[in-house]
Amino acid sequence: MDPSLANISSPIRPRWRKVAYGGMQPGYDDNHTDESFLEGMVMNASVVKRDMLKVMLDSVSISEYLCIVALVVLVWTRTLTSTIDENSLLFIDVSLLVSGFLILLFTQEMLSLSLLLHYFLNISFFITVLYVLAPIYQTLTRSISSDSIWAVAASLVVLHLFLHDYSESTVKAPGALKSPALTSCISVNASIVASVFVASRLPSRLHVFAIMLFSLQVFLFAPLVTYCIKKYSFRLHLCFSISLMVTTLSFVYMLHRLLFVLLLSLLVFVNVVCPYWLIRIQEYKFEINGPWDEAKLCFDITD
Amino acid sequence: MTGDSLKHRILMVSDFFYPNFGGVENHIYYLSQCLLKLGHKVVVVTHAYGSRSGVRYMTSGLKVYYVPWKPFVMQNTLPTIYGLLPIIRTILIRERITVVHGHQAFSTFCHEALMHARTMGYKVVFTDHSLYGFSDVGSIHMNKVLQFTLADVSQAICVSHTSKENTVLRSGLPPEKVFVVPNAVDTAIFKPAVDRPSRSEIVIVVISRLVYRKGVDLLVEVIPEVCRLHPNVRFIIGGDGPKRVRLEEMREKHSLQDRVEMLGAVQHVQVRYVLISGHIFLNSSLTEAFCIAILEAASCGLLTVSTRVGGVPEVLPDEMIVLAEPDPGDMVHAIQKAIAMLPKIDPQAMHNRMRELYNWHDVAKRTEIVYDRALKCSNQNLLERLSRYLFCGAWAGKLFCLVMIVGFLLWQLLELWQPADDIEEVPDFSLPRNCDEEMLEKKPLK
Repeated sequence: MDPSLANISSPIRPRWRKVAYGGMQPGYDDNHTDESFLEGMVMNASVVKRDMLKVMLDSVSISEYLCIVALVVLVWTRTLTSTIDENSLLFIDVSLLVSGFLILLFTQEMLSLSLLLHYFLNISFFITVLYVLAPIYQTLTRSISSDSIWAVAASLVVLHLFLHDYSESTVKAPGALKSPALTSCISVNASIVASVFVASRLPSRLHVFAIMLFSLQVFLFAPLVTYCIKKYSFRLHLCFSISLMVTTLSFVYMLHRLLFVLLLSLLVFVNVVCPYWLIRIQEYKFEINGPWDEAKLCFDITD
Repeated sequence: MTGDSLKHRILMVSDFFYPNFGGVENHIYYLSQCLLKLGHKVVVVTHAYGSRSGVRYMTSGLKVYYVPWKPFVMQNTLPTIYGLLPIIRTILIRERITVVHGHQAFSTFCHEALMHARTMGYKVVFTDHSLYGFSDVGSIHMNKVLQFTLADVSQAICVSHTSKENTVLRSGLPPEKVFVVPNAVDTAIFKPAVDRPSRSEIVIVVISRLVYRKGVDLLVEVIPEVCRLHPNVRFIIGGDGPKRVRLEEMREKHSLQDRVEMLGAVQHVQVRYVLISGHIFLNSSLTEAFCIAILEAASCGLLTVSTRVGGVPEVLPDEMIVLAEPDPGDMVHAIQKAIAMLPKIDPQAMHNRMRELYNWHDVAKRTEIVYDRALKCSNQNLLERLSRYLFCGAWAGKLFCLVMIVGFLLWQLLELWQPADDIEEVPDFSLPRNCDEEMLEKKPLK
């Protein structure tokens, strides 16, 4: 057949263009799907590939904090049943304060005298105010029954654990700009209120002062101390956490068998089951990006 | 030749219609007018706007039902899954509708009406006007609702190719079911100025709602830089919104009161006057499925500078638009390029080109093809359709099936209680073509 005749009988249609103007493109229907369809789609661009061991090691900081809170609750129960008297409590307070200071000293790079003095002044101011306000806490919940106190304190501690910022973004080096999120503020407040409630059940002023100092010391400064340890050396952090877990488990075992089993299962769940679960469901992650996405501003909006 | 093709009886459904002004509203209005001119019958259903409730007639006999449901948030009616079933059924039977056409994924009225129309066996077409993301909570819910509506739609229309990709990914529709029919612009209204503004001072016009997604933060960075580099450039900013304060602060900070004019909210009828006072139109949106504002500006003879987002690169040919990345440095560079291109631009030639490129009658003809295709889809009964809903998800699929079954039962109940034969059908009447002129001739002007 004559090639020129063949050309006339089947005209070559122009290439399809990805444009909206000019009406219907000749030779193509409006629902024509070109090979370049979904060409610009990018899948799972920012998804991190996780390794089981690393996730387990990272979850150690969560269980470390759980053990710290368990120890605090343990001290509360022992004090309330008068197993620990006020002098030994004061001794615990002072030793915690001194050891916390020492850890900060050894792990912080900047070891200036003025910073130390600054910390020391703040701590003494804090202790003085707490001592002065102790009588108020003692009589705070006199008209409320004990059951309500235990229930509220327990739920506040659970709330505190739920909303606590485990990524330690609230612990900042001096000069950081990032303000803490709403949930971490709520969690700190919950822990303080729980401490006040528990302290108000104690008989004498000194008891109240000692337990308040202990609780606030731990809830407010433990994140800072653990952050400093972790930053200094990961192995030290690992040893510290494991020894803490062992200590807590042994103390709880001496207190009550059932609580020991619960704590142990919780630690196993957080350290072993959760990382495995996270990695299992990670493979279902499907993140889609493309030209239809809203553009992200590359500069910060400073109002 | 008009007698050959099938004449459809179309019901346009959306929350967004006149007296509101916007992209979707204008699209429905102009499309309806052009379909009426092609000989089809069009009825619009929307919710009541304030005291505007009941049946109204607009130009060319366009009948609008303002259903007495009040909007509850952002012009959307309260979603009461089956609440609209009786009124929609009555309207569909009265007007003897053949195709139901819903607009905008964000409209609850549209989703409900389309669901009821499918329950009653009508053919359904859906047009999506916006782009949505995938990752935030609002988008995830919206996409699930869209999956439900589009699981059983006859055909779908998107306004740009990027929008088609986005809709197909969000809803899981097969791409062959989605038609790309863009918006258009009424070039008879948007004409360039008779005397062009002088080129001694270059005027850049911005008209948009001053909200985050229209990129006002980019404007705040770009305007002082451009004013610094080009002493003869002036800005006119029309529109209002929460971000207006930032622009005013920028004006104060850089002492640009005489170079940046803020007009506040601009009425739709005034838009052309604002546009023709400028040389360049600046659009800094962060996301845009189509962007009709650019078409209006090009029709008035302005050169456009825009961010390269969404469907914007598809809208105008390269000689009428300068694209930039949504980054202040790149946008300043693009504005400089546009200023250099200005002497070569002839507004009247640009307007004539726009008349060839975009035309509402063309949009109506292409939509007619979609309706023809929709009517060819097979009629399926409830059981066959239920299998399509099961694909929407493990839990969602079963929930959607349940919703459809209950809807079907309610419909059967309505059929018994208020039989279709009892509903009076509206007789067809067509306004004579030049009835307005005849009336004017008869009334002598005093």
